[in-house]
Amino acid sequence: MVRNRLSSLPSFGGVLATVLSAWASLALLPLRLPGMELAGIAPDWPLIWVVAWSVKRTAWQGLIAGVTLGILQDALVNPGGGWWPSHALGLGVAGALTALLQKDRLIQEDFISVALIVFAMAAISETLMALQWSVLGHRPLGQIWLDHQRLTLASAILSSLWAPLVYVPLSRLWPED
Amino acid sequence: MTRFELLRRWWQRYTSQILGGVGVVALAVYLQTTQAWVLRELYRGLQGGRVPDTRLTDSRLQELETQVQELQIQNRQLQQLLNYQQKMPLATVATTVVGRSAGHWWHQIWVGEGSGKGITPGSVVLAPGGLVGRVLDVTPHTSRVLLVTDPSSKVGVMVNRSRAMGILVGQGTGQTVLEFFDKNPDVKPGDTIVTSPFSTIFPAGIAVGKIESIDWRAMPAPQATVQLYAPIERLEWVLLHNYGAKPALLAP
Repeated sequence: MVRNRLSSLPSFGGVLATVLSAWASLALLPLRLPGMELAGIAPDWPLIWVVAWSVKRTAWQGLIAGVTLGILQDALVNPGGGWWPSHALGLGVAGALTALLQKDRLIQEDFISVALIVFAMAAISETLMALQWSVLGHRPLGQIWLDHQRLTLASAILSSLWAPLVYVPLSRLWPED
Repeated sequence: MTRFELLRRWWQRYTSQILGGVGVVALAVYLQTTQAWVLRELYRGLQGGRVPDTRLTDSRLQELETQVQELQIQNRQLQQLLNYQQKMPLATVATTVVGRSAGHWWHQIWVGEGSGKGITPGSVVLAPGGLVGRVLDVTPHTSRVLLVTDPSSKVGVMVNRSRAMGILVGQGTGQTVLEFFDKNPDVKPGDTIVTSPFSTIFPAGIAVGKIESIDWRAMPAPQATVQLYAPIERLEWVLLHNYGAKPALLAP
């Protein structure tokens, strides 16, 4: 596969729109609008963005995007000083796994399958968070895994419901090769 | 084809991807070291300037506030007579809540004033009803507040009636639990809870909530479920109180 290197470089407008949409997914996190909340939990917008980004990309690209957004979400959430669980692990794994799914061979329907992937990835990333909490030992174990059930269910349901709304415009933004 | 040539070709093909990936991650790490200062200020800028809605404070509240002020003045005069040393609050700022926690595992709020109004990390956050939490970090126009319902929040409190001491620990679900120090504390449902005079992080005597139920069989000492006075889930505006203490944030 030989490609002209200049034409393979993304356009400035495309890069800008990608960066802005990623920033928007972070800026939506502290917002709670009606319909965005289930038992006090909001959708995991960066996770939806990472899944939408990774569906038609390589595992490495998915990993890099997930780790980047995860680090930025840590900056918005984690208190300074000391070791706290990082969102980079969950989002990175979600990005890489989504890219490895080989979606075109397994699943046909476009945005319904994205909703399903988001549901599964929300469960995986929350589980990785719970594991980090367990290892770091800031909280009692029983409480962590009780919280995990509640958070995972609410986050997975809400995120997968909102996923098509994020995925459709983004998939127009990144046309297939 | 030599190994060197293979490497060169591979590099030519992936160089933009590798450099892009490394650059993006490095930028994210840099933003993180500044507590995402840029992201938070941008978010605050989009929210626009809102002033706290003082119409919510009804006449009864104003009457009570006047009474409290009167009592505080009297108290201060009496303390001066006794040569009682106490740090006076440095600044109190009223501000709106502009965002909730940006992660599922935390109970935090973002409020619309920061270091620009003299708020420092460790400032005490109050709402109508009483204690809400304390400031984790600040940017010029935002502060991040750790709520008392967060599992990593620990507040030294006491039962107002009997002076029984304990630690108020968040449960992550909007509930808080009071873990007593004493094996047999003098406490019953309905007792009011205030911050402890031995706390270095919070000023003494701030209203927190009231005892809902008590678990006498908890180990190593009894525990009580505390219902907070402040409506933590529906906060619209808060008071930031620069207490001037230098607390070790998030004591283990």
